[in-house]
Amino acid sequence: MKQRKRILLGLFLVVFSIGMIYFLNDEGPTRILVNLMTFAGIYSISAIGLNIHFGWTGMLNFGHAAFMGIGAYTTILLIPHAAGREGSINEEGLPLFIAIIIGLVASALFGLLVGLPAIRLRGDYLAIVTIASSEIFRLVVRDQENLTGGVYGVISFSDIFQNIRPKFLEDLALNLDVSAGQLWVATVSWLMVILLILILKRLQNSPWGRALRAVREDEDAVRALGKNAVWLKLQSFMLGASIAGLSGILLAFNYGTLQVEYFVPLLTFYIWAIMILGGVGAISGPIFGSILFWAFISETDQIAALIFENADGQQIAGVRFMLVGLLIIGLMILRPSGIMGKKEELLLDVK
Amino acid sequence: MLDQLGNGLLLGIIISVASVALSLLYGVTRIVNFAHGEIIALGAIMASFFSNLPTSRYIFLENTSPLGLSFEISLFLSILICGLFGAVLELFVFRPLRRNEFGNIAVLVITIGISIFLRHLYLIFASSKPQNYPLDLQRREQYFIFDLTPRNAKIIVYGILIMVLFGLFISLTKIGKQMRAVRDSTELANISGINSDRIILYTWILSSMLAGTAGIFQGMINDVRWNMGFLILLLVFAGTVLGGIGTSFGAMIGGFVIGIVVQVSVALPFMEGHTEAKNAIALAIMILILLVRPQGIFGKKERIS
Repeated sequence: MKQRKRILLGLFLVVFSIGMIYFLNDEGPTRILVNLMTFAGIYSISAIGLNIHFGWTGMLNFGHAAFMGIGAYTTILLIPHAAGREGSINEEGLPLFIAIIIGLVASALFGLLVGLPAIRLRGDYLAIVTIASSEIFRLVVRDQENLTGGVYGVISFSDIFQNIRPKFLEDLALNLDVSAGQLWVATVSWLMVILLILILKRLQNSPWGRALRAVREDEDAVRALGKNAVWLKLQSFMLGASIAGLSGILLAFNYGTLQVEYFVPLLTFYIWAIMILGGVGAISGPIFGSILFWAFISETDQIAALIFENADGQQIAGVRFMLVGLLIIGLMILRPSGIMGKKEELLLDVK
Repeated sequence: MLDQLGNGLLLGIIISVASVALSLLYGVTRIVNFAHGEIIALGAIMASFFSNLPTSRYIFLENTSPLGLSFEISLFLSILICGLFGAVLELFVFRPLRRNEFGNIAVLVITIGISIFLRHLYLIFASSKPQNYPLDLQRREQYFIFDLTPRNAKIIVYGILIMVLFGLFISLTKIGKQMRAVRDSTELANISGINSDRIILYTWILSSMLAGTAGIFQGMINDVRWNMGFLILLLVFAGTVLGGIGTSFGAMIGGFVIGIVVQVSVALPFMEGHTEAKNAIALAIMILILLVRPQGIFGKKERIS
């Protein structure tokens, strides 16, 4: 397919699925749409990071949730917050902007830490090591209750972010009858998506971006040309990890609380589904992928109701995740290049 | 420390059986099977479905009560179902994929999809409540230096027996030899008249039956949960990688070591009050081993980087 046809297909699917939301929900479709677009924006950012790892460099990273988590925890714990069983309040903190920068750096450093032992390993080993390190992260965060609030999580940190919300969003939220806080998170997320895509468009055709894709195609050839393939992979790992960190921070602000259970391995698989759906290696793929994914997810209640009479929460969740599983299987079998991806750019075999 | 050693031995046996199954499958088919945990859980959940009394508080799906068969028959049936399920996976999913020459990354991602699908199918089928088998409570007794209930001691004996039988099967029988031949080189095996498709089918069946057995053991010492497969999967990976993925003997030892490390680490002084994080230690050890010896302790030196 030509590039233009792919974009048209993506746009058509997005318009169609948003139309379905208005068609299927009689009450408050705008609210559902804003909620959906907020998550879609946040998950796009994460999928953009994963796309650098897998789509560009060909590294099987199954620990993406931990990179999101490191960014979120570092930033949130540096700004004023309340944490733990008693909700002990910590009023002092760094300014938001500096905390976010430190959070992104922390994610990148964690990427380096995981990457150093793992990056030399073959693809399937890398998959096991990354998923193991994301579980180590989750178990340690759960365990260190004094620092991270453990299973009780972190609360009361949103004010510093919501205080810089522009006034016109509040009027808009009032008109649309949606939460102003969420609208602000959505706005920031989508601005970040656009910014990232503009930067990555430049990077993709830079010497650095070309070298990354060369690593994916043939690492030995890259070495033969005098480039340091391991260092290139580590750089890619760090860049993708810190983009994931940004998405984790926004995820925390969207929920308004920070729980360690957000960062289970299932989150990683969500991001994988989004990346594959949008198109592996395509810069704008994650946008289409995440909107479609969340439109698909938010309609599972109706699908569950078709299968069970009076489906309860458990059944709805069950059906939802079964559909995610089927989506991953179906895409990999029928259209592994997704909506926007190019088949010749897709790495499907471990070298 | 010593009473933890008994628990470690128990968990070690279970992870060992599951790791051998995963390693065998990887060796013969080169598939890193993320759905392995779900086959483990299938064994445990089916055994609960067969053995619990219809009057028990467990409900499967809507208005379906468990069958109340005797526990021995339930074990047999569940392991059989796991084997059948392995055959179904091979015949309807992985053989067509192999025919169409899907790359191993694609297959790996597909096993993740299967795992997510099955796990939540179990959530709908068995609900999120933990279940137990209808077994009576037993008192702990002293065996050598280990404090174990008679049932748990039996699990250890049976687990060792299973692995000895498996070792004999792989090294002495014709099918076992053919499995090793396919593991070493599918092309050469085909040339020498081995029907590699059939051997791979047998491998799936054997691997799934072993996984199901491990699941039933795990259900006996702990409880049966819809997500138990994923919880144990990473430990099984750790055991497999530690011993050397693709090797049978290595996976056995690796599984043992991981199980013992997980349980004994609870007794370490710096782990006091941090028992929930015990799995993290086993995973960290796996990563460290990969750092110094990427092919695992007993793995052959092949290019894995």
